[in-house]
Amino acid sequence: MASRTVAKDIITLRGSAAIVSEFFGYAANSILYNRGVYPEESFAKVKKYGLPMLLTQDEGVKSFITNLTAQLSEWLEAGKLQRVVMVIMSKATKAVLERWNFSIETDSDVVEKGVSREKSDREIMREIQAIMRQIASSITYLPCLDEPCVFDVLAYTDTDVPVPFTWIESDPKLIANPQMVKLHSFDTKKETQAI
Amino acid sequence: MKAQRGDSLNRIGTLQDDSTTVPPITDFRYHSSFSSSIKKQPVSAFFFIPCVQAYRQKLIENLSLDSQGRPFKIMVFRGSPKSSRKSIRFVDELRQEVAAIFEKDCKQTPYRCIPKGEKRVLDAPRLRNDYYSNIMSWGMNNILAVALGPELYLWNSEDQAVHKLLQVRGGNDWPTSVTWSEDARTLAIGYMCSNLQLWDVESSKLIRSLQGHSGRIASTAWNGHILTSGSRDKSIINHDVRAANSLASCIKRHADEVCGLKWSTEGNRLASGGNENLLYIWEASKMSSSKFLHRLSDHCAAVKALAWCPYQNNVLASGGGLSDGCIKIWNTEKGICINNIETKAQICGLEWNRHHKEILSGHGYSIRENQNKLCLWRYPSMTKVGELGNHKSRIINLCQSPDGITVISAGADETLRFWDVFGPPTAGAGNSMVSDLQGLLSFRTSLLR
Repeated sequence: MASRTVAKDIITLRGSAAIVSEFFGYAANSILYNRGVYPEESFAKVKKYGLPMLLTQDEGVKSFITNLTAQLSEWLEAGKLQRVVMVIMSKATKAVLERWNFSIETDSDVVEKGVSREKSDREIMREIQAIMRQIASSITYLPCLDEPCVFDVLAYTDTDVPVPFTWIESDPKLIANPQMVKLHSFDTKKETQAI
Repeated sequence: MKAQRGDSLNRIGTLQDDSTTVPPITDFRYHSSFSSSIKKQPVSAFFFIPCVQAYRQKLIENLSLDSQGRPFKIMVFRGSPKSSRKSIRFVDELRQEVAAIFEKDCKQTPYRCIPKGEKRVLDAPRLRNDYYSNIMSWGMNNILAVALGPELYLWNSEDQAVHKLLQVRGGNDWPTSVTWSEDARTLAIGYMCSNLQLWDVESSKLIRSLQGHSGRIASTAWNGHILTSGSRDKSIINHDVRAANSLASCIKRHADEVCGLKWSTEGNRLASGGNENLLYIWEASKMSSSKFLHRLSDHCAAVKALAWCPYQNNVLASGGGLSDGCIKIWNTEKGICINNIETKAQICGLEWNRHHKEILSGHGYSIRENQNKLCLWRYPSMTKVGELGNHKSRIINLCQSPDGITVISAGADETLRFWDVFGPPTAGAGNSMVSDLQGLLSFRTSLLR
């Protein structure tokens, strides 16, 4: 029997924050692609999570998401991030059309004491895969966004977090009369990402 | 919803939770606003919202506390200082860019002034008011040959000297078609009585007479040493002026008088327009077999005005008579009409502007507009740039100066009016214009993709 290489079975806090923020980066790209916020031709395919993921080639958007996820990662490590919300608004009217909510659950034990939990890479990947697939399939039941749209990313953090240079305090940008769909969740045992 | 304080795992409601309690607003996973016209069933049955007011209430209550009573604050990412986030769609921006370039190509900045008045007016007594004749030609030697009634005059544009070349005696014959050869050494004159003469102007002598037609020769065109003549006898004859027996080929295809004849700038194609409203395109090599390349029947009136595009090979402009009034631009390669403008007036002449992408049309009778006018059209957008014209009655002929700046219109009011409408010449217009045109005329329906 071939020995299975067991690698990275122990997810440390750091690694977990990286996974989640990376996940968010890909999820944001996926939403932008699937909802047609940016044209399809500006995206390139990469392999990630065992799926063909689409990443934007637009320099502006790319750097935006990179800087954003860097900050999220920082907050995640500190256990200060509660949720991330991606808001899609009409460019013309600035009305909020869609709101993608990513809730974060932090295992405070791990944050405080540095104890790590176990979960295999593969399992996490599978769970993330499921979410990505759901985002991609959301176009089947969500209405078409016919007009040019812009997106914003909101972060819900603990109140003691200082507002960084590139962020400003904001309203929740809620939608009146919303209709909702719940998607899957994944957890790395420390972070639970519920969408 | 297990909202147990002190849980080390702070869970915000998940699917397995007991759904009998109303979940707090922070539990709404996904919101989407649908326009009021689209009514959809709520997709998730797990979270029931009793009514909107309750939701709003909760909103207000919980604005600063999340489900655990944990206070939160919301921040929105405004991008790194150096990022330039494009907030419009990339494809829209691309389209706008391309449209702007296209506009710039079409427009001239600054747009040149088209003179409202003529540069010069020459008196042209006894100029025959006959739509089908082509009694003017301006040669490369800067001499304008014009037939006024039975007489033919030469006017030197450099010194304005006038010289009468010939006069036909008898009263029942007169020149109906005048064309300079390409090197302006020979003048071809077609007559009412079907005679075709070649004159040497330096010595004011008749070189030879060519036979072949039985009706008046209303149109002639040179192609090197080939002189093509079109006649009321419905035939087109190609003469090789070097040979003793000059008749190279005779084509009987038209059903009525051949009133328009033009060789393409390369000399490979001939366009012939007839009084039966047909336009034929011929290949130079195949003329002896009377096989035409294209037979174009789009016009509803006599096709007299013909002009080949100087910057795009195989593009021909044709103008129809009174019942038609349309300028049609053709791709003679494929034999399709690529553009059509309704001028609503009889078109007697078409001249392309070699310096700018424009075409000028001269008009005669009209029921509505453009009567007796010269109209300038942008190419290829075919928008009307302007109109000129002080003719008191219809314009019969147009011709262009060798330098491509001036256009003369011969009117039935017995005047020749000179218009400096095509200038000023742009520096280096030649090559750049061709390449721009190549792009514009490559028959792509859209410039993007």
